[in-house]
Parts: sequence; structure tokens; C-alpha cells
Amino acid sequence: MSYKIPMGPYHPALEEPYKLDLICEGETVSDAKLHIGFNFRGIEHLAESRNYIQVIALMERVCGICSNIHTLTLCQAMEQLTGQTPPPRAQYIRVVVAELERLHSHVLWAGIAAKLMGFKTMFMTCFELREKVMDILQAISGNRVNYSMNRIGGVNRDIDDPLAVLAMVEQLEREMVRTVIPIFTTSTTARLRCAGIGVLSNRKAVSCGVVGPTARASGLPQDLRRAAPYAAYSEMEFDVPVQQDGDVRARLLVRALEIMESCKILRQALTKMPPGEISTGDAKIAFSAGTATSRVEAPRGEVMYSVSWKESSRNPSRVHVRTPTFVNMPAIRWMVIGARLADTPLIQASIDPCYSCTDR
Amino acid sequence: MTVLETIPQENLLEAIPEKLGITEPWVEKGGVHWLATGGLNVRTLAAAMNDCHARFITITAYQLPGEQGFRLEYHWDLNGKVLGFPFQLSGNSIESIFDLCEAVDWIEREIHEGFAVDFMGREYEPLLLRQGDTPGVNLREEAKK
Repeated sequence: MSYKIPMGPYHPALEEPYKLDLICEGETVSDAKLHIGFNFRGIEHLAESRNYIQVIALMERVCGICSNIHTLTLCQAMEQLTGQTPPPRAQYIRVVVAELERLHSHVLWAGIAAKLMGFKTMFMTCFELREKVMDILQAISGNRVNYSMNRIGGVNRDIDDPLAVLAMVEQLEREMVRTVIPIFTTSTTARLRCAGIGVLSNRKAVSCGVVGPTARASGLPQDLRRAAPYAAYSEMEFDVPVQQDGDVRARLLVRALEIMESCKILRQALTKMPPGEISTGDAKIAFSAGTATSRVEAPRGEVMYSVSWKESSRNPSRVHVRTPTFVNMPAIRWMVIGARLADTPLIQASIDPCYSCTDR
Repeated sequence: MTVLETIPQENLLEAIPEKLGITEPWVEKGGVHWLATGGLNVRTLAAAMNDCHARFITITAYQLPGEQGFRLEYHWDLNGKVLGFPFQLSGNSIESIFDLCEAVDWIEREIHEGFAVDFMGREYEPLLLRQGDTPGVNLREEAKK
């Protein structure tokens, strides 16, 4: 006999509100339906009533974790419409903040995953490390969540002493290498709890069009930092970790390895940061009519903005945001089919879902 | 094996217009390679994108002024390039490509709920954003009221 178990929209396993209707045969999930929209905010529509300065602050609030990525993508699109090219130092600062944000996001996710595994000690360790990443972001931007770093034509704040930031990053890296990475990659608890569950096959990953670590854990080597470099990524050397198994453990490994790659990128960006201006400094910005599109590799995968402007308008006529969770989340259905009911909280968390981004 | 699948990846971009029977070339603008679709059927396009192993990204919907209808811009990623295909809708309907491209599911449902555009040949239940509410309502028009 099959029965339906609703999970959410408010549930201890969910960080934000969405709903999974799990159809079960005994303890095994035979199908699932996903429901979103519980906190849909209509931000795209709201953006049309904001001018080119206000819209940056608005879009920064699409997501509380990758807030910087949203303003970076938006500003890159608006820079195409205004013909502005940020100076090299601004491009490096954009890389530094983007990679710190990736570290922040991945460590936060690792903590939540540890909690769902029943590994509470690891949860505490990850959240302590996350605090340190946020300390670095606060040292750079003065903020811990919405950094307000990006503007049209560059960034708002300089990194006055990159080597001091580098010292903080290296200390963080040492702690990651000592604790988080070995535990997540080699511990029996993590392996037993994650291996072989929530499998998203390579074929299904292609079919669903998943992005980011979810795609890379299913054998798809896609990363916009490599395929379509933006900011100063073309000058950075790094690897794109890919795993083939497509299970929760593969997604865990990809993120653990990406933490190391982020540290590698941060080291390069902070030591090679060129001197000079941090923005074009243009006080008067003129938009040409048309549509511009920009894409960025956020911690959860590709973010795309399409921004349209009408002649002599101060407001965008359309801002469309495609967030990574919007494409990754439907794949949860295929991950939970055949899984044990008790594994579903961890499986749904393994894509690092952001409902805030999805209900934009 | 279809024709596009036999073409080397580096030559695929040039081969797509010919495969689709479009004489106009790609126009690179605003970070996107645009191809004028003319009378092209969206399902033919989706099948061609599948043949190229292009990754579907999203559809951007625009409500045009007055009675002009809607414009839908379909985007795929091909080897790191964003491809854009604009479709002008004189009314409020277009064929769904959900059966050809699974990744299109949520964005078709979202546009259906946000703009009341009907993607023909698919079911919408349950609603994505407004479970239990009336389907086919243009939320933007509702917001104006």
C-alpha cells in the first residue's frame, strides 16, 4: 500500500519553506512532487520600479548566501548596456569576494549536511569556520551578508592590504585541511551516510539541465569560470573537480575539493592584484536601449541575468533571473525515487537548495 | 544519428542556422548569440538543440505594449556560449517543448503563472507558485489592479 508523506513547507529538515510530497511504499520512496512559491516575492517585477542604483541593492537581496553573486551578474549585464569596463583591480576584487562567498556557502552547506547526517560535532566545526570566512568578508566590506561591493564599472570598496587578507585566508585553509576536508573525504560516518544514496545519473543530469556542484558530481565538467570566464578568472589557474558517481557523497566531495580550489584562486588573486583604480568613476551613466545577458558561476551553479533597458530610462524595463536552484531542485524528484524515507532530508539538502533564490 | 550530432563541436554554431533553414547569420549582442527565428517552430528548435547537446538555460518572457502580445526568448548554452532565439507571440500561446526538454518544466510553468502564456500540449497542475489558485492569470496585470 502506498501512502503520502508531506515534508514541509515547514519541517526540521528544511532550511527554508518548500514542500516535498513523498509517495512511499513501506520505507521506500516511489515518487515525489515538489511545491515552491511559499515565499514568492515578485522581485523581478519590483526591479522594474527601481533605478539603476536602487536595483543593485534590491537584487542583492534575492539571496542571503550568494548576495554578491547577484549584484556581480547584474552589474556585468548593466556594464554591457553602458559600455563600461571595470579596471583590472576591480576585476580581481570581484574574484576575491566571489571566492570568499563560495567558501562561505560551501562551509555553511557542509555544516547543514553534517547536522542531517547526525554528525553534530562537525556541524559546530563548520559553523565556526564559516564565522571566520564572514570575518574576512566583514574586514573587506564592512558587512557579513549583503556586502554592497559591486557597482556599475567596478567595486565600491578597495582591499587596502591584500596580504593581510591572504594571511586570514591561509589560516582558514589550514583549518579546513586539518578538519573539514579529511573528515568529509575519508571518515566512515560520512561515507556510510552518503555513498550510494540520492543518485542522479549522468543522463538524468543532462536531461534536467542541472548546474554547479550538482552537475559536476554527476560527471558533467561544466563551470563558467572555465567555459566563459568573467572578471579576472581567465588569469587564474584552478581545477574543476568532477565526480562520476552522482550520489550525495560525490556532491560532498566536489564541494570539499572546490573549497581547496577556492583557496588556490584566492591566493593567486590576492598576491597578483594589480594596482590602480577600483571603478571607472563615471558619475553620469547612460544606458543604451536593448537587452544584455550575463552569467556567473555562483556557489550552487550558474546564475543568469537578462536585463533590458528602454531609451532614456532610469529603470530597467525587465530583469529576469535564472538561479541555480531553480534548475537543480526539480532533479530532487529523481534523486529520492528508490531512496529510503530516512535519507530524503539529506538527499534534498545535497543540492544545497536555496529557496530564497528560487522564490525570488 | 542526426546531422548535427555528426558535426564537430567547433563547427556546430555555424551549422545550426543551415540545419534550421534560417538564412540570416548569428548576431552577437549583449553577451548572447542571437538567431532570428522567423517562422521557425519552437519544437524544431528544441529538437535541434538536443541534437547539438546544448544545455537549456531559461526562457525570458516579455509582455509587449498594448495588444502586441508577448516575446519569449529561449536560451541554450553551447560550449560556453549563450544562444538566444526570440519568438514573437501574437496571442498568448506557443507549443510546449517539455516533452523534448525536461529542463524547461519549471520555467514554462512560471511564465504560465506570471504572464498567462499558454504552453500548449502540457499539464500545469500543480501550479508552481500559487497552488490551488486559478490557473492562467496574468500576475502583472493583477498587480496593476
